[in-house]
Amino acid sequence: MTNLDHGKFTRMTTIFHSLLALDVFALFFTGYAIMFNDELWWLLVLMGGNVGVVSLHRLAGLGLIALITFWLFVTVLTDTGRSNVSEAIPGPDDVAAFVQDVQFMLGRADERHPNARQFAGYEADEVPLLSYVGKGVVFIFAIELTLLIASGLLIWSKTGLMELFATKSAAMAFVVFHGLLGVIMLMGVMFHIFEHGFHPAFYPLETKAFIPRRLIPEHHDDDTDEDDEAEGTGIEKLTLSPSWNWVANLMGVLTVVGIVSVLVGSIFDEGYPVPRELALGGGPTNLLLTIGINVGILVLFVGLVLSLYGNVLRRRWQRQLETEREPATATDGGQLGPGED
Amino acid sequence: MSGDEHHHGLPEDEVSTYSRTAIAVSAVLSLVVTALLAWVAAGFDVFHEDLFRVAPTVEGGGIGADWVTGNTMPALDFLIALTHAADVIMGVFILFLVFLHWASFRRLAARMRQPGETESASGVATDGGVEATDSIATDGDPEHSPGGDPE
Repeated sequence: MTNLDHGKFTRMTTIFHSLLALDVFALFFTGYAIMFNDELWWLLVLMGGNVGVVSLHRLAGLGLIALITFWLFVTVLTDTGRSNVSEAIPGPDDVAAFVQDVQFMLGRADERHPNARQFAGYEADEVPLLSYVGKGVVFIFAIELTLLIASGLLIWSKTGLMELFATKSAAMAFVVFHGLLGVIMLMGVMFHIFEHGFHPAFYPLETKAFIPRRLIPEHHDDDTDEDDEAEGTGIEKLTLSPSWNWVANLMGVLTVVGIVSVLVGSIFDEGYPVPRELALGGGPTNLLLTIGINVGILVLFVGLVLSLYGNVLRRRWQRQLETEREPATATDGGQLGPGED
Repeated sequence: MSGDEHHHGLPEDEVSTYSRTAIAVSAVLSLVVTALLAWVAAGFDVFHEDLFRVAPTVEGGGIGADWVTGNTMPALDFLIALTHAADVIMGVFILFLVFLHWASFRRLAARMRQPGETESASGVATDGGVEATDSIATDGDPEHSPGGDPE
């Protein structure tokens, strides 16, 4: 058993995930530098000031549209894509998984539900493609990205917007609507970073989304005891990293502070209707809110670093596999060709 | 500087190294000095930049008051109110999920071998959980490992 043995993503999915992450981070860093300009003035400057930040945001927005369109085509055109759609649809098991997770948190269940499990070994090997959280992420992303792309394009195409809504404040309303919609994703991504970075068995990164399933061994050690195979996930055989405790707690605090702050900030900094305070970005700069929103950006930055780290791990893992397979003749095809996934 | 903390028998122990205290003190001092210099450079002012604000009121018919009066579409107001509500509802739920996972992770971590529990473990836990070569799972019920949830 390895702690990598729950590889579920194909090579294409892992690369798509990394590109999507990069693009979404770029959109967050530029978009919220605009919306929270009171608190993130330094980010606004870093992202090219008033003019540059908008260009970067549009560029990243185009990247997002390209990525989503690609994903739609791949889903429709391939068997894997079509079959994954059914696997991403939430069912009664996912509701049960959520309920059991609550019970697990309260100490009233011994294990997490298979549909909630991130760590899978031994008998818990048969986990679905996506946990209940994963399915929720897919659905919220689908709804959010559709609305964000639609409102974003409308804002971009000023003439189009003016044809639909004839006033300045209506145009501004769309900017606000766009920013407020993104807040859900902003909060969700912070949670996502915590969820997949700080699981004790995977800390500092769950490699599921980075190492393709083709590179994960299908079989487990045969020399393990029979009774070990019999129950549980085998998590008790792993050693906890010495730094996990304080790092996970620190990141937990930062994630909570970040989420609460952007939520509070989104209410105060709605910027609509504009002249309510006549200060773009909303109310007076509050020191606590400034710190909190910056903490949120820090959490996102940690996520960006972890995403890069995941790609480093994939390279390392690939190299190691190549080295191990070198003595043997490459019967199983050592080289992954394009489209093999 | 003599390192008096831990001796792992690594080559580094035999050459002169920096003590942890010295490193920590130097790091703190460097931050203090940097902050002081920034403070001096900013003209002994805490804030890097003041935002220029105009704050006339809508009632006073200040600049931009037409933005409010120009909006004749209640649907847009409703849309924004709806998004605010969605933000708050989803935000509270996401916070709940964070706490849920945080607590679950702590329970799971308590089931794992604690660092330093087995000196015979073959791996160094650099990247999280590393499987040890020998099994101590027979030592007892993993459910009752130290710090485990009394279930």
